[in-house]
Amino acid sequence: MIPRQDERELFAPGHRACPGCGEAIATRWILKATGTNVIIVSPTGCLETFTSPYMFSPWRVPWIHPLFENGAAVASGIEAALRYKDRSDIRVVVIGGDGATFDIGMGALSGMFERGHPIPYICYDNEAYMNTGIQRCSSTPLLASTTTQPAGRQSWGKDRPKKNMPAIAMAHDIDYVATASVSYPKDLYEKVKKALTMTGASYIQVHTPCCTGWGYPPEKTIEIGRLAVNTGLAPLFEMEAGEIISVHKIGKRVPVEDYLMAQGRFKHLMQSEEGRKEVAKVQRIADHNIERLGLL
Amino acid sequence: MRVSIGAIVEGGTSLNYKTGNWREFRPVFAAGVAPCREACPAGVDIGRFLREAKQQQFDRAWHTIMEENPFPSICGRVCAHPCEDACNRKEFDEPLAINALERFVGDHGLRNILVPEIPKPKRRETIAVVGSGPAGLACAYHLRRLGYGVDVLERSPLAGGMLKWGIPEYRLPGRVLDGEIERLRTMGIAIKTEVSLGKEFLTKGLKEYKAIFLALGAQKDLSLDIAGESRSGVLSGLDFLGAVKGGNPPPVGKRVAVVGGGNTAVDVARTVLRLGSKPTLIYRRTREEMPGIAREVEEALKEGVGIELLTSPVKISTQRGRGLKLECIRNRMGKPGPDGRRTPLPVPRSNFSIESDTIVVAIGEAHDPENLTQAVHCNEAGVSVDEWGSTGVPGIFAGGDLTPGPRTVSHAIGSGKKAALAIDAFINGWDKGRAQSLFLGNRGSLSMEQWVNPPPMAHQSNRVVTYEDLNRSYFEPKPRESMPHISDMARRIGSFDEVNMGFSEEGALQESQRCFGCGTCSLCENCYTFCPDSSVWRKDPHETFEIDYEFCKGCGICAYECPSHVIEMIREEK
Amino acid sequence: MAVALAVKSCKPGVISAYPISPQTHIVEALAKMVADGELNSQYVLSDSEFSAASIVYGASAAGVRSYTASSSQGLLLMTEVIYNAAGTRLPMVLTGVNRALSAPISIQVDHQDTLSLRDSGLIQFYVESVQEAYDMHIQAFRIAEDSDILLPVMICMDGWVLTHSYEPVELIDQKAIDAFLPPYRPVHCLDPEHPLTFGSYAEDDVLMEMKYMIQGAMEKAKAKIGEIASDFHRITGHPGASLIEAYETEKADVILIGMGSLVGTMKEAVDAMRSDGISVGLIKVCCHRPFPAEAILTCCQRAQAVAVLDRGFSMGSEGPLSLDVKAALSNLERPHVLSFITGLAGREVTTETIHWITAEAMEAAKSRRTVRGSQWVDLNRSIL
Repeated sequence: MIPRQDERELFAPGHRACPGCGEAIATRWILKATGTNVIIVSPTGCLETFTSPYMFSPWRVPWIHPLFENGAAVASGIEAALRYKDRSDIRVVVIGGDGATFDIGMGALSGMFERGHPIPYICYDNEAYMNTGIQRCSSTPLLASTTTQPAGRQSWGKDRPKKNMPAIAMAHDIDYVATASVSYPKDLYEKVKKALTMTGASYIQVHTPCCTGWGYPPEKTIEIGRLAVNTGLAPLFEMEAGEIISVHKIGKRVPVEDYLMAQGRFKHLMQSEEGRKEVAKVQRIADHNIERLGLL
Repeated sequence: MRVSIGAIVEGGTSLNYKTGNWREFRPVFAAGVAPCREACPAGVDIGRFLREAKQQQFDRAWHTIMEENPFPSICGRVCAHPCEDACNRKEFDEPLAINALERFVGDHGLRNILVPEIPKPKRRETIAVVGSGPAGLACAYHLRRLGYGVDVLERSPLAGGMLKWGIPEYRLPGRVLDGEIERLRTMGIAIKTEVSLGKEFLTKGLKEYKAIFLALGAQKDLSLDIAGESRSGVLSGLDFLGAVKGGNPPPVGKRVAVVGGGNTAVDVARTVLRLGSKPTLIYRRTREEMPGIAREVEEALKEGVGIELLTSPVKISTQRGRGLKLECIRNRMGKPGPDGRRTPLPVPRSNFSIESDTIVVAIGEAHDPENLTQAVHCNEAGVSVDEWGSTGVPGIFAGGDLTPGPRTVSHAIGSGKKAALAIDAFINGWDKGRAQSLFLGNRGSLSMEQWVNPPPMAHQSNRVVTYEDLNRSYFEPKPRESMPHISDMARRIGSFDEVNMGFSEEGALQESQRCFGCGTCSLCENCYTFCPDSSVWRKDPHETFEIDYEFCKGCGICAYECPSHVIEMIREEK
Repeated sequence: MAVALAVKSCKPGVISAYPISPQTHIVEALAKMVADGELNSQYVLSDSEFSAASIVYGASAAGVRSYTASSSQGLLLMTEVIYNAAGTRLPMVLTGVNRALSAPISIQVDHQDTLSLRDSGLIQFYVESVQEAYDMHIQAFRIAEDSDILLPVMICMDGWVLTHSYEPVELIDQKAIDAFLPPYRPVHCLDPEHPLTFGSYAEDDVLMEMKYMIQGAMEKAKAKIGEIASDFHRITGHPGASLIEAYETEKADVILIGMGSLVGTMKEAVDAMRSDGISVGLIKVCCHRPFPAEAILTCCQRAQAVAVLDRGFSMGSEGPLSLDVKAALSNLERPHVLSFITGLAGREVTTETIHWITAEAMEAAKSRRTVRGSQWVDLNRSIL
């Protein structure tokens, strides 16, 4: 292969991500943590689409895109094959989107967790089906506007809270569950490294701002992610054996308005008195997270 | 090319798809101008010397300062530090203690007897510098570094000008001043004292010297123009300070009234205290409007200097056996005058008297033009010069307090430096374009380092970095280090020992870490960390980063997340 | 059990399956072998057939021989993965235990489930007996892994009839099997030593060509299957795979065509009819995909009529096997092809029925009557 300026970058440039894409940043740091002795599985999603146009692949590690709903199952098969070949030193890691993880792939994921394969399943969560055009997903947060549940005269957008996948993961009694954020890549790196030490399954959910889908200028991807963490809406924590073992403390707390106002997908809330009142529901979620997890 | 079965491809092939052509804006590493440097009349690269100090590279930090300012230990004690007023950190928590850090680095240089380099080869021309105050000596220093021979011609028996005669020992110890001046001699600058020149020097001198720099300063105290000013017991501020510095303090009695609100007046008052007498400052406006450095005024009051604000002297008379009587009137503040400062208006029938043994008048200085008016253009403000110090008469330059402008040490140093540059250009021919690029920001600060030995820089921007430009998410509040000083007032005023003791090395390291590094890359690696397209990279871990423009999509995250605003987004030309 | 023994002897690295009647015996037998240390496979218990197929797909992509089995609804759930495996050119072997599809639900045999996969790029064999199932499973691995083929292979066997019956089966010596079937050497696989990207998306400038290549592999497979079969016979002494089996078709006026265990009944009927002087023969279609059009053409071109017995139906059209046969013989005026739908959801197909079908075909041939569409045989019209 053409040697590139920094061959430690296992995620080569030339991929087709939107400028300012959070997933690309997360993937770079995940691969720094896995190193080259890895096989990556990505179900259908943004990451898969922008990294696999025929003949233009940025993956400098073995990578497979199977289908949309079977990332966890295919990874299980690869892991079994490696175990058969006595090559369990080669790790299998799934990097999949929230659509593939929270919804259509949840069955296969549950199976993988239940069987206890030593596979870190990393979900980059941009809170909607972004690849197909910003449609609603169970990961979409309360009151966000998406194309299949848009804000309108009779709707505030998503009317259900975000599905709590980390809790679902933990309910399977897997070794390690963590949440991370693209705005704190070194923390993500450490968490992936930790997941790789586990003998069983682990789940890491990475909060990933999407400039195209959330409606903000591309240079603010990290800023938006930071705001999400500092409001308490995207808490960063680690769990082992059902117990929280660490949280990222919020330095300077931010009211949820600052975070919501900065994104197009919530701007409908700022256009009326009633809209602004709805925001209180989101503030309650943030307050609850802060209290429950001890984030301050 | 044959299609591969199963659509299976080699990894890394995306390198053949150059996403660089998606860009509308490109990120450029552009070292912007830090506001502290813009504000510094001497043009010191403050960000760089703080970065070097932070890494304990004190020798390098010293050399960095010396590129622009030969007197870090002096300035680190007496400068009014406009850099700190401009410091972006002041909007975050407190400004950097730049002044104290300059002092620390300067003292390191004195202690280790560091010697500056002379980057240019020796030239046969010699320049005459008239006056050995900060302007003259700074000009001499820079000329010497440009390779010229320099003769500094000083009228008084000791070199230093205002620094020597006008600033008391407890603010600027003699050994510090002498140390920084002695260093100039070791560089080969001849400093000749007790030299008396007549007005013909301005014509005949150009036969011997290739150019002349006039730095006579402003050493004549202004008078109050009130009745009784000529009585004995009424002294001029500079005369008083000079006599004290010379070892012959005049007898001032127990009570001293000091008229004025500038640094000279405050210096006089605090000196009087140390002589064992009781000073009272008399100033015609409010405390905030006193031109003296605020810190100095504060210390003066803590030490026990009395003060009468909104008070103007009206008349001086004697009282048999009771010393002098200074009749004063109270003021109220009126509208701003032509200089922008509010006019004090006497309040009728508010007269009162102050008894004192001595009255010292320290309301400002003027230059003494007597020998100059025929040779160069001169008015009350001083000798007229352009922004480079050129008088208009070929070969004759002027700077410092002799010329119009702020009467500060750092301004004097800056003017000496610019004149050195102008003299170099006069002798060799202008390079106007390059000369303009030496200016940093819009306040007249200039880089001599750029003229002499430009450091390699991919791109330098003249944009001054503002607080809003910085990404403050990466900074933690941290209180400013406080200056260790003699806190026991009795001990303080019992001697002329230096009041401020300077940062310890630990204090200096802690404080220099607070610098935001506006416009300078601090190798925080945010740009590298956050690039979605793996397009920020570097060959060497000790160097700064580069952008891979073949792939960079111009998303702007690197620029936005740079804490120091080192990256500018510039529109692509199509 | 025989199938389990066949699979075991092929030493797959990864096995994954999800229970569904009537496939359960096979996977249970394999599980016991693993538990007793007789079989050194990674046996992964999946959460659905979809996951089972995915696990096997992943294992195959990682360069390991893999196996799964399913039936009916489970096969439908695996469909997406099977298409994906064919498109990605990954060898996997599946047992398709034939069973009717819901709704209404039935666990009885017909071929609708495996027939519904006929477009996917999966190579499919239909076996008549348990012995044949045993022999075919062994050959299936080699066919799938052939570097000119690289497609998933399914052995279809009638549920209950073949899976839950007792039949004496002659097993093959492990040494012979090892000689016939060497360890799997992948053409492409996921390997950090040589990073490849699997599952790219292809634009319209290359996609048709890639699909064309799958068809090309299918075409090549026809000859390859013959070569592999000869090798099998030579090494093991057992009869090797064939695309069709022609039984008494020489000079037959009517040729019957069928697949699966039904062929056993058909052979009985043919023997009886021939002894009555009826000029009838039969073709057993062993390999349904790739469809042996040339072989059938060669066999049938002198017959007067061909009667195809389908155990499945393409709703809105005709029996799928008959559609393939009609396409193969479309350029000929003779024989006339008739389509009969028989035995759906386990309905018994008797020799009488076959006699009746043969008579129908004979009559149509003589009268030169054109019969369009499929005839549903043994339908109870009184309950319609």
